[in-house]
Amino acid sequence: MLRADAGEVNVAESVRARLFARLREQEASSEPEQIARALAALGHAQPARAAHADMHTAFLANVLANKGTVELARDRGAAVQAIARYLYQRFRTHKLVAGNDPRLAAMPWRDGGVLPRFGAAENGDSAALSYARVGVAETGAIVTFTGRANPGRNNLLPEDHLVLINREDVVATLEDAWARIRRDTVASGWPRGIQFIAGPSSTADVEAQLVMGAHGPRRWHVILVGDTPAEALEQASEGIAGA
Amino acid sequence: MKLASNEFLQAASAALQEQDKAQRRTIIGQFLPLARDAAASAYGDFDGLRAHMKRVRRHTTAHLSHYLEQFEEAAVQHGNQVHFVANAEQLNSKVLSICQAHSARRVAKGKSMVTEETGLNELLLKAGLDVLETDLGEYIIQQAGETPSHIVGPALHKSLAEIRQLFLDKHKLGDRDLDTVSEVVEEARSVLREKFLAADVGIIGANALIAEHGTSMLVTNEGNGDLCANLPPVLIVCTTFERILPRAEDAMALQRLLVRSATGQPQTCYTSFYTGPRREDDVDGPLETHIILLDNKRSDILASDYSEMLDCIRCGACLNHCPIYIGVGGHAYGWVYPGPMGSVLTPLLNSLEQAHQLPNACTSCGRCAEVCPANIPLPDLLRDLRQDESVQQLKPARWRNGLRLHAWLLRHPALYQSLTGWAMSVLGLLGKRRGTFRRLPFAGSWTGQRDFPAPEGGGTFMRQYAARRRRGGKRG
Ligand code: SF4
Repeated sequence: MLRADAGEVNVAESVRARLFARLREQEASSEPEQIARALAALGHAQPARAAHADMHTAFLANVLANKGTVELARDRGAAVQAIARYLYQRFRTHKLVAGNDPRLAAMPWRDGGVLPRFGAAENGDSAALSYARVGVAETGAIVTFTGRANPGRNNLLPEDHLVLINREDVVATLEDAWARIRRDTVASGWPRGIQFIAGPSSTADVEAQLVMGAHGPRRWHVILVGDTPAEALEQASEGIAGA
Repeated sequence: MKLASNEFLQAASAALQEQDKAQRRTIIGQFLPLARDAAASAYGDFDGLRAHMKRVRRHTTAHLSHYLEQFEEAAVQHGNQVHFVANAEQLNSKVLSICQAHSARRVAKGKSMVTEETGLNELLLKAGLDVLETDLGEYIIQQAGETPSHIVGPALHKSLAEIRQLFLDKHKLGDRDLDTVSEVVEEARSVLREKFLAADVGIIGANALIAEHGTSMLVTNEGNGDLCANLPPVLIVCTTFERILPRAEDAMALQRLLVRSATGQPQTCYTSFYTGPRREDDVDGPLETHIILLDNKRSDILASDYSEMLDCIRCGACLNHCPIYIGVGGHAYGWVYPGPMGSVLTPLLNSLEQAHQLPNACTSCGRCAEVCPANIPLPDLLRDLRQDESVQQLKPARWRNGLRLHAWLLRHPALYQSLTGWAMSVLGLLGKRRGTFRRLPFAGSWTGQRDFPAPEGGGTFMRQYAARRRRGGKRG
């Protein structure tokens, strides 16, 4: 209400006051502690049935079901190689944009011949890379925070969105994901944007036909970093083929 | 948007004649319920999730002022400007004044049913602003000068051929085929990309407001809302105050219900939580953010017997499962919200007088209530609205008298049974030769489509039942 003139402020104030008065009329008055206790007693929802007994297999299976592609990388060196291969196959270049994430800066890029530009993605960039904070096995989503380490537009503007996610950052459910988000933002403060991403941008608005690359990335490639047995990926893919 | 709900019957008859559109609707009515059912059963205890959400809602509604205050405080702390507005005009003029304060010329909009409800675009366009809908479906109908026919897929009534022709007319891009869905999407992508980059103001809706962090949740597949929320220097979130939920986890529960009920996905491509303007550490994002909380009769509804309608999460499942909606399509309902949810909301958000035909557009089949993720007893609310319609004497006198007579008769079972018994015998005798009737008094529209079978000997159900009981107590 900074710019509004006095008249406008008065109208807005009275609308607000009237609404609150109206609501309070209908509510039994309770102390905040009482309300908090009642809320806690409600607990949380039951998550979806797991796609697979093994959490990482379930995560991979759901990423695939979300029309993403997946790859396993033993460590960051292997991840660089995987990214280099992907970029060359898709675009015949090694160009990549990535946020100013210290984890990304520390990767052995030279070994793969990839030279990322660190910063915000621009229109026309072919590929951007994010280091996800959390992966959610329940839905096959990854979570990023906006900020220097991953500007919001890096998830949205490029043709392809590549995502690294550490094995130990994959959690079972959406509730677990929020527990991690709360923990990870204690020091840094609440970010402007928290984005759960579960697939390439898509639309079914024309004749109910699903098409990828509506406004954002056409492809979404997730690389799970850590010691994941190759069978996990095989089993995850089988689930999809059989579905 | 102009309200034309009292022309429902004429509009519905006209819609029934359009074979091509009817066929597309039939596909929606088959495909989307299948997708929803598959997702609900893959989930596990989906009904348990619905019940959980209902409990959270009851709790939130019981303490709405508390949570609204908490939301406002947190949102302001994060640098948002929060505005309460009472009605459509106030929302529209608030948005306009924000745009004018920034000398904005170009506005990019994500999908927002609330701004459809207030007719925001019309006002902004009149004020000389360039307003563009960016959800593909909304973009298509905006270009065509139409209104949404479905709350989730606004342009599902249009064929590929129609959209192709529309794009050829509107986008001056020279000769091109444009005869696949992919090509159409591709063209919209490149046209709209430029608009996103040039926009001065972004406007989005919210699927939920989270009290604990002053955050709004945005659920999309296209990512268009996210582009609106991240690229332009000013962001305006237009929503209604009752979207509020206490915790992020509650928004997740809502999201689980919403997405499975709408498209059958476990999660949409983008589920985003926005909490204000650019931070020190940010290299992008809006410099200024506004959250506009609209009432527009919702506080009245909250205090009425129809308060449960405010639990609606706009998933569209009741539309996809409704034989009337699938039969006549969204435009026949004459306003923003169609189908069962619209037949309840339209009279409540306008007046029953202006929309009293809608609660009658119901066969009481109950499918909507069966699938509604918010467990809203839609058929009951529709029945109550029909009752109000009768009490307010909005129905023609002939109908009201007929119903009154019927009700009186039902309260006198002996008379009812002897009268119906007599009618059955007469019909049985008259129809003995042909076995059916081509025409019957008072049932012209029924017999207009089909023959009425003449009752066979034995009389009414009650009479046959009694006879059977006498014969040997068999329950049949
Ligand atoms: S009334 Fe229920 S089924 Fe219909 S849109 Fe709202 S939440 Fe979905």
